[in-house]
Amino acid sequence: MAAASPAAAPSGAQQPSLTFTRPVFAKLSPHPYLLRTLSPDSPGQQPTRNNGRSPHQSRPIQINTSSLSQAHGSSLVRTGDTTVICGVRGELLPVTAIPQFRPHNGTLYDQDENDEERARKELRDYDLLVPNIEMATGCAPQFLPGVPPTTLAQTLSTRVYSLLHGAGVVDGRGLRVWYTPEKGGREGSGMEVEGEEGEQEEEEEQKPEVVAYWVLYIDLLFVSFDGNPFDAAWAAVLAALRDTELPVARWDPDREMVVCRKGGDKKLGIRGLPVACSAAVFLEKEHAEVGGGEGNRHWILLDPDRSEEGLCKEVVTVVVDCSEGETRVRSIEKQGGTVIGRELIRGFIGVAEGRWREVKEAMGN
Amino acid sequence: MADRRRINGPPGSTMPPVFEDDAGQPEVKSGKGRDRAPTAIRKMFLKTGVTPSASGSAYLEFEKSNKSDVSGLKLSCTVHGPRSLPRSSPFSPHIVLSAHVKYAPFATKQRRGYLRDPSERDLGTHLETALRGAIIADRWPKSGVDIIISIIEGDQDREASKSQGDETWDMMNALSGCITVASAALADAGIDCVDTVAGGVAALVQDAGDDSTPRIVVDPIPSEHEKVLGACCIAYLPTRDEVTNLWFKGDLPASDAGLYTQLVENGIQASRNANRVLVECLGETTS
Repeated sequence: MAAASPAAAPSGAQQPSLTFTRPVFAKLSPHPYLLRTLSPDSPGQQPTRNNGRSPHQSRPIQINTSSLSQAHGSSLVRTGDTTVICGVRGELLPVTAIPQFRPHNGTLYDQDENDEERARKELRDYDLLVPNIEMATGCAPQFLPGVPPTTLAQTLSTRVYSLLHGAGVVDGRGLRVWYTPEKGGREGSGMEVEGEEGEQEEEEEQKPEVVAYWVLYIDLLFVSFDGNPFDAAWAAVLAALRDTELPVARWDPDREMVVCRKGGDKKLGIRGLPVACSAAVFLEKEHAEVGGGEGNRHWILLDPDRSEEGLCKEVVTVVVDCSEGETRVRSIEKQGGTVIGRELIRGFIGVAEGRWREVKEAMGN
Repeated sequence: MADRRRINGPPGSTMPPVFEDDAGQPEVKSGKGRDRAPTAIRKMFLKTGVTPSASGSAYLEFEKSNKSDVSGLKLSCTVHGPRSLPRSSPFSPHIVLSAHVKYAPFATKQRRGYLRDPSERDLGTHLETALRGAIIADRWPKSGVDIIISIIEGDQDREASKSQGDETWDMMNALSGCITVASAALADAGIDCVDTVAGGVAALVQDAGDDSTPRIVVDPIPSEHEKVLGACCIAYLPTRDEVTNLWFKGDLPASDAGLYTQLVENGIQASRNANRVLVECLGETTS
């Protein structure tokens, strides 16, 4: 076992006491070890990573939905050893509780482009989507409870939040609760006195109005963490939203509150199927000076795991949506490093398309 | 002051949905009777090694009740350690346990916040005492172990909207599940224990109907009974015949001392049953 280790061989040590087994070497000196497995000696050999995958191979994704009964929609996503649970819960926000509420000037029957745009603006203005990611579940040794959310958890929540709004995934029209006042008005006495004017008011009151909004609390819980949290979290959010069914709600004027009916829950309108795809860039020289890209070979590792993430500085995430036939890019994020340029990103979008098909298959329907 | 490290949502307060038939009429609990034998616990599913990056981990799920609206308890537990204590902490001749129980925000009917509330701290304390009796603590001086349990789903009746006070009884079931799952995760982490500890709950319940007399059942589901008079959660080591933690809640007549012992005995019986599942699960993983 020890002698078979290719990474240990170049150390030149002949004494058996100085050779290590593969896992020991990978732990002691991860960077040279990964470099070794990625650049095989003979040209016929394919470069592989420590986890046995080739650089452009992602882990298979598994998605289960509707496994939680207390939430309105839920999903469980696992890719390799990363497992995320997402629960979506709707709560009602009466318009009286919205400080900057502007009365809605559309109608219930508006189905045009304009209304869709307005609904999207409402989502953002009234803050109707509340995604939060909890990592302090001991999902990895560095995430222990009892401390405030880590920087990673905060960034992930914010990234999910901005992508939810940016990609316009949720159809805001499904979150409105309408009320059409009954004929005859509630202020009968005022009408009698004012006569004509009162009647006009009554006419106006016939218009259906928005009385409340559904707020979607999207909570994510990492059960197990092994790298690439954003892709898994985003897939879980999307699967849970697609699974979400909200009860039919109406305004009860007598009790002055929104009540829901049991049964006949309505599916939430979800637009498109944006899928996130991340990769990390592994450099030959770990501490190369900035700009000295010459002669510093690099590998793009798709769907990095925990140990690879620790070795790579540069990470790129692309969100693509191919559900309308052609590929649409919903977001591109890149952090650290200078390797990935325009050409590489263009190529990477092709890789992301492949990932999109995998995720689509796992989502079913 | 709002938590600035999380996304808090709209400034106005939101309300969970209220259903039409909730108001006014009393809740009907009939037709929801228990169909298990009084001494039978629900079926459970236990699996170790769900979190590969932790030293030990386990997942426990209780069977759903025959009525579709009561969810089964789902727990995930990770164990980190034994590892050295931070330099700042004082010397400890034995292992320092810290148990942490947290409900997921979507686990119960009411949305839970991210900060631990007193009931969760209470569960954590009870869990810690239950486990302390099982671990051979002086094998690891100057070290600590973290036991973290996430309650992914509590067993609560989703439909019963007015089952006030049920939460306190639900905590009993949650604690017994926590003890069992933590014990499995500790074994998975390879931390030496004198025995596998498992949790069991027994309760004195009164069923619907005027003529029914209170009876003792194990593993109670509060919504299946008219009223729960008292409940007790036991953590029990079967081979040593020791109780490591006993938690009793309720209102029993002091005159009938036999009732208490009966409750405890039934709790022990429930714990033995859970322990059988635990041992079988651990046997499967080692073989």
